[in-house]
Parts: sequence; C-alpha cells; structure tokens
Amino acid sequence: MAEIFWMNLAEIDALTAEGVAGAQQAATVDAVEAVRIQYLGRKGLLPQIMKGLKDFAPAERGAAGRSANAFKDSITAAIEARLLALRGAAGAVAGPAFDYTLPGSWRGLGSLHPVSLVITDAVRIFSRMGFAVAEGPDIENAYNNFEALNTPAHHPSLAETDTFWLGKGELLRTQTSPVQIRVMQSHPPPVRIITPGRCYRRDTTDATHSASFHQIEGLYVDRQVSLADLKGTLAAFMRAMMGPDVGVRFRPHFFPFTEPSVECDFSCHVCGGKGCRVCKQSGWIEIAGAGMVDPRVFGKVGYDAEAWTGFAFGMGVERIAMIKYGIPDIRMLYENDARFLAQFG
Amino acid sequence: MKIPYSWLKEFVDVEATPEELAERLTFSGVEVEGIHRLGDGLGDLIVGEIVRFEKHPAADRLRLCTVHDGRGELQVVCGASNFEVGDKAAFAPVGATLPGGMAITKRKVRGIESHGMLCAEDELGLSEGHGGILLVEREVPAGQSLATALGLPEVVFELEITWNRPDCLSVIGMAREVAALYGKSLRLPDVAYAEDSRAAADLAKVRIDDAARCPRYTGRVLSGLAVGPSPGWMQHRLKFCGVRPISNIVDVTNYVMLECGQPLHAFDLTRVAGAQIHIRCAQAGEKLKTLDGVERALAPDMLVIADAQEPLAVAGIMGGGGSEISESTREVLLESASFDAPGTRRTSVALGLASESSHRFERGVDPELADWASRRAAALLLQTAGGAAAGGVIDVYPGRAELRRITCRFARVQALLGVAIAADAICNIFAGLELIVESRTDAACVVRIPSFRRDLEIEADLIEEVARMHGLDRVPEATPHATLIQNVDDARTWAVMQLRERLTGLGLREILNYSFMSERHVNQLGGEDAARRLVIPNPVSIDHAVMRPALLPQMLLTLGHNMSRQVANADFFEIGRIFWRDEAGQACEAERLSLGLMGRVGQGALDGRRSVSPAEMFLSLKGLLTALCRAQSDAGLRMAPATHASMEPGWCVGLWLGDVALGTAGLLRRGLREEWRIAEPVGVAELHVQPLLAAPRRRSFAPLATYPSITHDVAMIVAEDVQHENILAVIRKAGPTELTDVRLFDIFRGVAVGVGRKSMAYSLVYQSGARTLTDAEANTFDVGIRQALRQELQAEIREG
Ligand SMILES: [Zn+2]
Repeated sequence: MAEIFWMNLAEIDALTAEGVAGAQQAATVDAVEAVRIQYLGRKGLLPQIMKGLKDFAPAERGAAGRSANAFKDSITAAIEARLLALRGAAGAVAGPAFDYTLPGSWRGLGSLHPVSLVITDAVRIFSRMGFAVAEGPDIENAYNNFEALNTPAHHPSLAETDTFWLGKGELLRTQTSPVQIRVMQSHPPPVRIITPGRCYRRDTTDATHSASFHQIEGLYVDRQVSLADLKGTLAAFMRAMMGPDVGVRFRPHFFPFTEPSVECDFSCHVCGGKGCRVCKQSGWIEIAGAGMVDPRVFGKVGYDAEAWTGFAFGMGVERIAMIKYGIPDIRMLYENDARFLAQFG
Repeated sequence: MKIPYSWLKEFVDVEATPEELAERLTFSGVEVEGIHRLGDGLGDLIVGEIVRFEKHPAADRLRLCTVHDGRGELQVVCGASNFEVGDKAAFAPVGATLPGGMAITKRKVRGIESHGMLCAEDELGLSEGHGGILLVEREVPAGQSLATALGLPEVVFELEITWNRPDCLSVIGMAREVAALYGKSLRLPDVAYAEDSRAAADLAKVRIDDAARCPRYTGRVLSGLAVGPSPGWMQHRLKFCGVRPISNIVDVTNYVMLECGQPLHAFDLTRVAGAQIHIRCAQAGEKLKTLDGVERALAPDMLVIADAQEPLAVAGIMGGGGSEISESTREVLLESASFDAPGTRRTSVALGLASESSHRFERGVDPELADWASRRAAALLLQTAGGAAAGGVIDVYPGRAELRRITCRFARVQALLGVAIAADAICNIFAGLELIVESRTDAACVVRIPSFRRDLEIEADLIEEVARMHGLDRVPEATPHATLIQNVDDARTWAVMQLRERLTGLGLREILNYSFMSERHVNQLGGEDAARRLVIPNPVSIDHAVMRPALLPQMLLTLGHNMSRQVANADFFEIGRIFWRDEAGQACEAERLSLGLMGRVGQGALDGRRSVSPAEMFLSLKGLLTALCRAQSDAGLRMAPATHASMEPGWCVGLWLGDVALGTAGLLRRGLREEWRIAEPVGVAELHVQPLLAAPRRRSFAPLATYPSITHDVAMIVAEDVQHENILAVIRKAGPTELTDVRLFDIFRGVAVGVGRKSMAYSLVYQSGARTLTDAEANTFDVGIRQALRQELQAEIREG
C-alpha cells in the first residue's frame, strides 16, 4: 500500500491526476475497483491525505483542503464514468438485445361506467362546496314523490302514462326529490345535500329517452339562501363539470315544488356558443331545472318558511354523460358493450 | 302551441322581429321552441284555374291539364288527381323558383310539354304533406299571388306553455304577456252583436248538478244559420295553428278557443231533446259515440252534457255525433262553460281521449272568460253564417270564486332573489301584468289577482313574476355565505364509491343494466320464487315487466351479448339494486354486487391462445374475491360448497364474511353459457354489498421482523380427497409459533405419484421475533410437522 511520508500541494494534485488516469485506463470492472481501493479505500491514499492536512502551515491549510476535496471528487467521478462505460459495453456484447416492444403482461385497470363517472365527479364537486350525499329507495310512496312536493293531484306526471305504479300507493320514484323530503323530515335545517339515484318514467325508449335513468338533485336550506346563491352554485358546478370557460344562463320555468323556478343552460362546450349540431345551432344546452323551494314544501316537512329559505336543483346524469363524452344514443349506456365501456377507462 | 304573429299583433302593438320577440318570451318564462316562416319564397307562385283535364296519352297516372293563369291557357302535366274542373290550385309558371330552389322550366313529361307545375304543400315548404296539389277557394281569381290567397307570408311561433300558465294557451293570453314585456296595452276585439226579440232563456234550459265540477255554464241561441265553409282568413289561421277547418260554425268555436283560450261547443239545438242541457255525471251503462266515431262506455264519475234523455257530450273533452253540427243545422246552442281541471283530467285519461278542449280544461280555464268568449263567437257566427241571435244569455254560474289578494313584502323579494329591486319597479311589474296593486306601504303591497291568473296563490308566486319580468340575467351569481352543517352521514356513499374504484383497480369494467327485465329471462335465469317477484302492473314493454330479483341474470345476458359481438374477453361488475316482495307483500329492495369473468382472465398476453381450464377460472374468481374481501373487511372470507340454479354443480361455493352470508360464486352452468356460444368456463358471483361495507379494515402498526427467516420445503403425496385447507390446518397445528407462513408452490399428478393421489409441495417459513434461528432448530420443527402429516393425513413425505 502506498504511503505518503511527506506531502505538499503539488504532490496532492499530482496524485489526483494519477488516480484519474488510472481509473480512465482501467480495462475491467475489477481493475477500476483496484484503483478505487488504492486511492479512496479505507486503507488507501485519501485517509492519509486527510490526516496530513493538519501538518500544513495555517496559511496553506485552506488551499490544501480544497486540493484534498478535488482529489476525492475527481477520482470518484472518473471511477463512476469508467464503470458506466465498462458496464454499458458489457451489456452490448452480452448477446441480442431484449425486445422491449413485446406486450407487457401486467393486467390493465378496469373502468367505471360513464354514469358512475359523472355521479362520482358531481359528488366530488359538490362535496367541495359542502354538500353531503343522501340516498333513498327506488320504491317510494306517492306522498313523498308527489304530494309533499306540492304536485297537484291532477298533475299529468301522476297519471298512469308517466308513472310506474306498483299498487298500494307504491311507485317507482319519478325523481330523486323524495329523498329531499326524507332528509328534511329527519333533519332540522340547515341542510345541504345532493341526491344521486335512479329514477323511472314511463317514457318510450328512444335515442334520448329511457324509462330508467339517473338524476342528481341538490337541496340547500339555510338562513338567507337566495336565487343569486342558486345561480352562483349551479354556475360553479357547471364550470367544474364541463370546463372552466362555459357560460351559464337561466330561464324562468315552472316546477310544482319550486317558486320561482328556473331552467339552466350552459354554453355549448363543443362550439363555444357559436352554434353546432350538438347544441342544435343555439349555442346553448339545457342541463338542469332548479328554483327556490316552494314554502308549501317547507310546510309539508315542518320547516318554518319565514325563517329559512332554500334552493333545489335537478339534472339528468345520462344526459350529462352524453353531452360530456359525445355519446349519441342513451341506449348505448345500457348495452354494456365492453368496447364502449373501455373508452371510459 | 302555435301562434301566428299577425294574429298576436291584432291585440298588441309590437314591432319586434320574430327573433327578438322569441328571445324576450323565452327569458320571461314562455319558451319559444321554433319560429316557422311560412310562405317565404312563394313570390313567383300564383293561383291557376284548372279549366279542363284529360288522361296523359302515355301514362295512366298522369293528367294533362289546361290551366288558366289569369292571362291565358297553358298545358300542364300533373301527377296528382285530387282536383276537379274549376278548382283553383297552386301554380308555378315557367321561370318560377320554388322555395326549395327548384327552377321551373318548360319540359317534356313522357313526350308532352308541360308549361309549369301544379304544386303540393311540401313542394312549397308549407308542410310535409304530399297528398295531392294544394287547392285554394274557388272564389280566388286565377293569376292572383298564391301567397295572398293563402294569407301568407306568416310567421308562426311554436311555444312551450308551462303547466301553471293555462292563461297563455291562447293568442290573447300571449298578447297580454307581450304587452307586459313591452310596456304596451292589450287591445281586445269588439264583441257586440245584434239580438232579436226572442230571449235565449225561453229557448233552452240549463241545469248544473255539481258546482265544483262545473262552476259555470253559459248558452246562447242562434237561429237561421247557413252552414258552409268559413272565410279564407279564418281557415288560414286555423291551419297555421294546426286545426283542420270543418265548417263555419265549428271553425268559429275553434277560432275563438285559439284566440282567447275558452273552449266552446255548438249543439244543433233541434237535436237537443227537450231543449234541456243537464250537466251531470254519467249513469251506469250510458254510452256515447264521440265525434271521432268511437263508441265510449261512460263511467259514473265522468261529467257529461246531457239533454232530457241522454249524454250529448263528454264535458270539456268531446262532443257526440248525435247533436253534431250538420249541413242541415239551422239553430245552434252555443256552449261556453267551465269544467274542473282534475275531473277533466281523470276522464280524459280514463277514456284515453284528449282534445284541444281537454288540454285547456285540465290545466284550468277562467270561468270569468266564458261569457266574453260566447259573445265573441256569437258575433263571428252572425258574421260568417248569417242568421239571428236570441236576446241575452243563459248563464248558470254557481261556482263564482272570490278574487284572491296576496301581500308582497318588498324585503322578501330581495331575500328570495338576492338582488335589490325598487318597490316602484316591483309595483310596475305587477301593473303591467294586470295584477292590481290595491294598497301599498313602504314595506309591502297588497295585490288583487285577476281571475285569469289562478296560478298565483302565495307571495312566492308574485316574487316569481317579479323575477321573470325583471330578468334572471340581472340576478347576480353569488357565493352562498355557507355555514358548516352537521349534515347527513354519507360515509356509505363514499364507501361504495371506493368499492367501485377497487373493483376497477382489480381490472373489472363496470356495467349498468335496467332495474327491470323480461319475465322470460327471470324464468330462464333467475329461478327465484315467482310469488316474490315485483311485477310492474303497467310496463312499457314485456321486456321490462319485472323488477330484477337478482343481478346475475343480466350479467349473463351482458356476457352473452358481448360474446355475440366478438368480445370474448370481458371482466365485468355491476353494483345495483334488486327488488322483491316479502311474505307480507311489502316491496323491498337491496344493493347487490355481481361479477362476471369471461375469457383469458388474468393471463399474460402470450398465453392468449391457450384455453382456460375450469380450475383456472375458478381460482381467478377466488383470487379476485379474496383480494376484494381482504381490502374491504377485517372479517375473513369463508367458502363452503353450495348449489345455485345458474352455476355448475361442484363448481359453486357459498361465501361468508365472518358469520355474515356474503353471496354465491362459481362457474356458470355449462348449458347456459353454451346458449350464447361461450366455449370456455365463465366465472360469476352475486354478493350482498352491505357485508362488504360492514367491517372496514382497522389499520394499525405491528413491528416488522428484524431477524432473518429460514425457509424449508416439504413435499408429500396424499389422496385426492385431501384438500389444501386440510393440509394447511395440520401444518399450522403441528408447527411451532416460529412458523410464520406456509405457501403451496406445486401440485403434481402422474404415474409416478399413483392413481387417486397427488403430490403437494409447501414452503414453510420459520422466523423468531427474538433471535436468529439456526438450521438445526428448523430441522427439528420439520420433524414434528412431517410426523403430524403422516399420522393425520396418511401423507407419504417425499424426502430430499
Ligand atoms: Zn354547439
């Protein structure tokens, strides 16, 4: 093992050059390792140099320290560079390269159904705004589905032609609004919920209608909730769901359970509002019905309509999925063709 | 509802373009669904008279017509046959261009020159109709512009009137809205007419049984009428609104209904027995042949208009053939009445019979309107059919309603809308809508609601009027001043969302099926107790007649449908509700999870051509279930042999999480999959969702082993009926506490092993938490285990 009996700055620098050259010229990985042991090893030159630093005159000590660091860093770098070169070369001569273009064997992920994707997105968006999720049964009674929602007894939606009646006053809910009734009956205000779920109407199935479909409704009851809050909340949701640049507009409408009632359109995400096939050239797409909760609905659930106000809204999940993903026919959502489902993975 | 713009303009001065008006209406609550410009591009067309015609010599179905265009006679070939000599028809002369862009030239049709074209409605862009050429009244002179003859051009608005606004189901109702929007006043037509010396009250009698069902009935008597076609302008407007012209008397009743919203009916008074009108419920067994020619059995809760003997009309819905206006009608009883909305609706649904009249009554017609409408119709009848009107009116009005008064607090408007609107502006909006502000303080006003706005019941209704007239665009988008709410607990929803995500992480695709299915498929695939099925009494189709009693049947159908579309590899899950009736007949529902695996489950790409064995499929399914349950629950998954109608015997297991039944899993019965031409095994399972959520994993730290482990192997030959679980149990029982893991790594069968026997090889992992084990210690452990295997399972241990 080399030993340094005396040391000066020039000597350290010379050893540095020697070590770097030794590493660069080493022909094998083992030869490189020998260089490392000789210069940097526990019993090599580096510890001796470090130990020798204290013997330098105080004026020279700083420069000596820098030279010692250069010794270590330069030789380390030279060794690593040489090892990389040697190992790369070894791989290249080991035989034909592995065909990394062969198919991988880890199985792929599955996919959520587009309806689930939309519901999941909506739940997350509304959850950020403080809405909790409430769910209720598909089989409802007429009171929760109609009467508590201020729907007159002769309203056409009660008719045999629009509702699946199961007998004994039971029916398949035509909307998820009865969940709002259930929540208000069991929770004092304030309330801030969304209610995703399956609904049923006796519609003849075609490209845009299905007798079974999903809705997301929302309800927010608190002190001083106003139509302006409804506009702000729905607009924020639309922008989160359909893109930050979509415009939102509101038109007066009628629903038995809200007063005032509005319909909500968003500016077509395909053409940006200029007019195209998707928005039927209007630049706008109807997406939700909403309004301020009718005081008579509050009366049915025992809320004080003077002290509390609230808004409610509802929208069709399949419709959002069709608009968002460009699905042309609602029936495709229920055909469960694996090739279709894979597009949403 | 369709409204011609020219008609609207009779009642309100509005100059807006159709597009501007449509925008204003849409944003004030009446959605304009379409603007139809009728008669655009008809400038070149004229009325031609068909002077004579003969058969085309070369084509049986063509006619060779001589058409007079006002200047001279032209020879025209025509394919239609809906005309006679002397008829006047739409004629496009040579040089004309049709609305569709077609240019008319002189051309030969089957060898004969045609100097122009007689046109059908679709060729003129007026309708889809192609039932022959368009004829106009014979009185129109030949050569006149066709557009003038048809009352064109016209702009027709197509409106969606919401359920709460029956007052808008008329031209005047809409004119009132437009007047309010544009700050104009409504101008109503003059309804005065001359009366003769007879008194209507002497000529007919009216009796109402139930004021709630019929709050008002008015009748006027007109005599000496001449039935004939109504004037062209009236026919044009009826057609623009989608109503077919019939005769002057019927057309007047329809015209007035479209104009003001009051349905009217004209009875031939000579055919009203006893000249008595009795508004009563139908009696059991009574029948009526309605104007559409259908004989209808009437039920006792149906309101009818009867004479002294029998029903003449179903009240508010449709008249009967017996008292119908005919060519011989001279004397008419003009009915203008009110019938209640719920009753009309019930009867209409029960009879499956709807009309323009029932459409209005089931939404509500203002009883105050009846007399005005009757006067208007009487005046028009005298104008169009001649004759004389008896003096006065028979007006039975037992159901007169009080006018409603509603207080509107100005502060409440701001609270509900979130925008400040001045009290003056609020009161002006009410005045514009003909809502009368009776009194007013700084804080509120009292509004008297006119009879035609029965939809306005409470303060919120008035605030809605303010919102829609003020403009929703002037309500800001605000961020709610939200309080933190102790809301409903939605942990379950989030847990199901996580379950979905885990299943997709395990490689499955989510499917979604309808909640209902066909009885046939339930019978074929479900096998559940038929008495417990939840059958839909009024299904849309037989394919959707039963609420699904399980998810598996639809899973099988989904796999099958995919296979028939050449999708041979598919791993699906569905989370959804199933439905049944319990012993008490109560409808029940519960959430289930179904799994379906088909094809190369879990195999790498290069295994693709190798077929899947039943064991491989079963173990894939088991591995999936095990991974899922381990992630979902601290309760261990257990299995035991089971049977299921859809599953292959011997390849079906019941599943438990701890002590809670989880469901059934196995391979699809061979016969079922072969129906869908699925050649290889299919793995299926149906699980309850609730147990998967009931015992979520409690996560906690345990120290990691610090001393190295020793792994020894043991291989043995055992009888075929010795199960893996038996071997595991024996090893675990005989092994020391240092035995931390036992892994099966090989099963082998063959001649060397012997018939009815198999070789099983396990890795035994020994590890101590206190020190490093020696090989000698591990050997000692092995001895005990081998001993136990020999004794308890008659295993033949393979040494070395
Ligand atoms: Zn567009």
